[in-house]
Amino acid sequence: MSLRSIPYLVACLALFVALPATAFSVEIPLHQQIDLLIGVGKAKFEKTASAPSDDATFLRRVTLDLTGTIPTSNEVRAFLGEKSTDKRTQLIDRLLVSPEHARRMQYVFDTMLMERRPDKHVPAVEWRNYLRTSFLNNKPWDVLVREILSVDGTDKKTRPAVKFLLDRELKSELVTRDLGRLFLGRDLECAQCHDHPNVNDYLQRHYHGLNAFLNRTYLYKDPKTKKTSIGEKAEGLVSFTSVFTKEEGKTAPRMLDLPEIVDPADAKADYKVKPAKNVRSVPVYSRRLQLANAMTHPTNIAFRQNIANRLWAMMMGRGFVEPLDMWHADNPPSHPKLLDLLTNELQKNGYNMRLILRELALSKTYQRSSQISAESEIAKEINFGVGQLKPLSPEQLAWSMMQATGLTAKTLKSLKTKQIKADPKNGAKKIEEPLWQEEALHGALNKNVTAFITTFGFVGAQSSRFDASADQALFLRNGPLVQSWLVPAGDNLTARLKKLKTSSEIAEELYLSVFSRLPEKTEAENVVAYLNDNQKKSQQALQQLVWAALSSDEFRFNH
Amino acid sequence: MRRNQGCNHLDHHLARRQFLAGAAGAMGLGLLGSPATAEKIKGQHKRVLQIYLQGGVSQLESWDPKPGTEHGGPFRAIPTSVPGMHISELLPYTAKQMHLLSIVRSINLKTNDHRQGRLFMEKGRRAGEYPYVGSIASKYLAPANSELPGYIHISTRGLTDSTSAFLGAQHGQLKFEGVKPPKNLAVPKGLDETADARRVQLREQFNQQFRVGRPKSLTESFDASFQQAAKLMGRKELFEKAPDPKDLERYGKHDFGRNCLLARALLENNATCVKVTHHGYDSHAENFNFHLEQLGEFDKTFAMLVDDLHQRGLLESTLVMVYSEFGRTPKINVRYGRDHWGTAWSIALGGCGIQPGAIIGTTNEKGTAVADREVDAGHLFHTYLQALGIDSTNDHDIAGRSIPIGDPTAQPIKELLS
Repeated sequence: MSLRSIPYLVACLALFVALPATAFSVEIPLHQQIDLLIGVGKAKFEKTASAPSDDATFLRRVTLDLTGTIPTSNEVRAFLGEKSTDKRTQLIDRLLVSPEHARRMQYVFDTMLMERRPDKHVPAVEWRNYLRTSFLNNKPWDVLVREILSVDGTDKKTRPAVKFLLDRELKSELVTRDLGRLFLGRDLECAQCHDHPNVNDYLQRHYHGLNAFLNRTYLYKDPKTKKTSIGEKAEGLVSFTSVFTKEEGKTAPRMLDLPEIVDPADAKADYKVKPAKNVRSVPVYSRRLQLANAMTHPTNIAFRQNIANRLWAMMMGRGFVEPLDMWHADNPPSHPKLLDLLTNELQKNGYNMRLILRELALSKTYQRSSQISAESEIAKEINFGVGQLKPLSPEQLAWSMMQATGLTAKTLKSLKTKQIKADPKNGAKKIEEPLWQEEALHGALNKNVTAFITTFGFVGAQSSRFDASADQALFLRNGPLVQSWLVPAGDNLTARLKKLKTSSEIAEELYLSVFSRLPEKTEAENVVAYLNDNQKKSQQALQQLVWAALSSDEFRFNH
Repeated sequence: MRRNQGCNHLDHHLARRQFLAGAAGAMGLGLLGSPATAEKIKGQHKRVLQIYLQGGVSQLESWDPKPGTEHGGPFRAIPTSVPGMHISELLPYTAKQMHLLSIVRSINLKTNDHRQGRLFMEKGRRAGEYPYVGSIASKYLAPANSELPGYIHISTRGLTDSTSAFLGAQHGQLKFEGVKPPKNLAVPKGLDETADARRVQLREQFNQQFRVGRPKSLTESFDASFQQAAKLMGRKELFEKAPDPKDLERYGKHDFGRNCLLARALLENNATCVKVTHHGYDSHAENFNFHLEQLGEFDKTFAMLVDDLHQRGLLESTLVMVYSEFGRTPKINVRYGRDHWGTAWSIALGGCGIQPGAIIGTTNEKGTAVADREVDAGHLFHTYLQALGIDSTNDHDIAGRSIPIGDPTAQPIKELLS
């Protein structure tokens, strides 16, 4: 925000302060503060900003962002018919406590932290379950990270959390780099051999300061269980030489520019468990165990800024700092005050990510249309005045297609029948539990999600750039998987369309199921015209009508 | 002064403002590219054939034999069609084609790691998100009306590489599993051509409405993938056609022979870059038996392919690259193997823009170090691109960001360019 707008902000704040009648509720809700800092209400900003999205668009958007799939046609109908004025708030609160939200967060954070690398030491199933359970309980981010960075892999109960370190095999070029990238928003790779050449504030000591937390650790393979865990020595210092200047440096563990964490003076290479053949050594003083604390320590502001930026990007389609791991003086956040606000709120609320996501979703900024009106000008820089198009992740695409074609509903129905048969006593109660439903569906349909990940996902640093390739298009166009979902069965979408009497009814059901909205008049007419010159309602014509909608731009993006 | 030597991250070149400018089109980068560069080479239909000997072929058993020396191994050197040029006796057919090819014997990559070596050889940079040679060829050489994707990789294993970096997925490598065509080429059962065309038209209709009042870059990228898919579907017979038995006899009935025949067909049909991977050179044990077998397959097939390209007048416009991620240690280990060796090894190349019959650089007598004209993959990268008429000292112009095409600290091997 520019200096000039401060008086304006003060005026706004004063207005908000004045509005509530009671003396106690002077605090402006976070989502309103977000909008103020983005520029809502300022004439210049509003000139390029888009209108609020309509109910249907909002429903689709927030359902995708928070639960990873599109809503069902019934959910769309219900939401459009709902009269209460706070229905958007109610919806957000409902979605945030659903088991589907935990699954969505599992996908997002698994992709972020493991970047779709193949399994090495810890099975992905266990790690993902650990993540999902954490999100079901809304585990604070600092607690989650402390667990991930402090476990050593020897305790069966906490072993899943060690995947981040173990699957990178403790290699410093992977672990040190990714600690910087994923937890601090800074890719220090180039500072490994020299101070970063073009980024003035990435220094070699930053890289090696992070490296020093783990430079005494090693992979230990238990000869009996064959399981790998983390061993650590009591000695080992980190020194480095610049390949350019030949300057030498030494560092104890440290977080960027925070003070070094010096080994205690009385720490004389003492061991709780001495190194020996086939023994996992444990030092009295562990540098590694300092990592989790130092990372999540209140003084380490980069840690908070990073997650604030990433949560913003998850909801808004783009970070304040982009790429998300290139935070430095020449690439500063686009909205520093707003980022500070979110960063502080995270700390104040004990890293409660659900709370932040809720406030983001409630903001006008989040709820803006992605389509600008004819009178609007296209903003030169991204100012979050218009909703961004967010390409669906492979997981979102898979679940949305299964939802749209009715495969999800059909599968759930048969899973319920099976459960009642298998458990006549409690089955009827069980099948109404949301968690049971989510887990049962995931178990039954996960292989389809994997097929989408194979085609649309990629291994390595994830970027917010959208890429589409020919094999992806062929998968959508001709692949047997998607085609199989188009064949009428049970009461899936094509079967429902087939039963409808008029072409305009078909158009409506198609739009509600696939696009999560009602068709406009011309859109409905187009569908009617297509059906009329395709032997009325032949099954094939209906299947391909659904296909064309599923493969369209509108479906491919969260808009 | 730029201190940057080895490590050339994309972010080194980016400033804040450029990020923002790129952000609007963050997603659809690279539909047009640098008009200047594109204009310069339009219509020449230059092509690339890459033969990748995966695992690291031994330079001593191929392009730089040292018979009778300490580490020379059991094989002899034989004369080639170029007076004075000798290569390993494991390559008798190739020896007869060497007047069409050249050798670089003085490569030092300073890495012995498969992945690092491979990425360096493909990107001309040690680190960072940069496009492969094949993706660059796709972007700057592929004719606008090309009916095949710009970069096709025929291989029998391995995962799909992410090769296009900021050039966009349409310039990414399309992987063929051997001679099997890409998956999902056939229109779904029960649909005829008319119905297929109708549904594609219907898809377009859905898109029109959505595009109003929204930035184009993402939807254009999505659309381009569908167009490319349609082109591939149109060339389905090309992939499915069984090879001529006579050709198969000449090339060999093994996978590599079949893959090279497909590569020839693709190049003849105006594919831009075709890469064929020949797997299995990582001979830590039994190096000599392995090379006898592997190069036995490679030699005749490759020689036939080069000869065919030459006879058909394609070699002039096709750059041929034979390369690995590194070579193999001179020292023979206790298992009669040779290990990873990026320090002093060789590649062969020829065709478009390359002076034939040349030998660049030398290794010392025992082959343990480069003796003269040391180069690394950065130099080779510039050489490949300049041979193709792409000014590698120019910048990629991607949505307002300028990124040097080749590593600015490296230069082409000028004496190799014709």
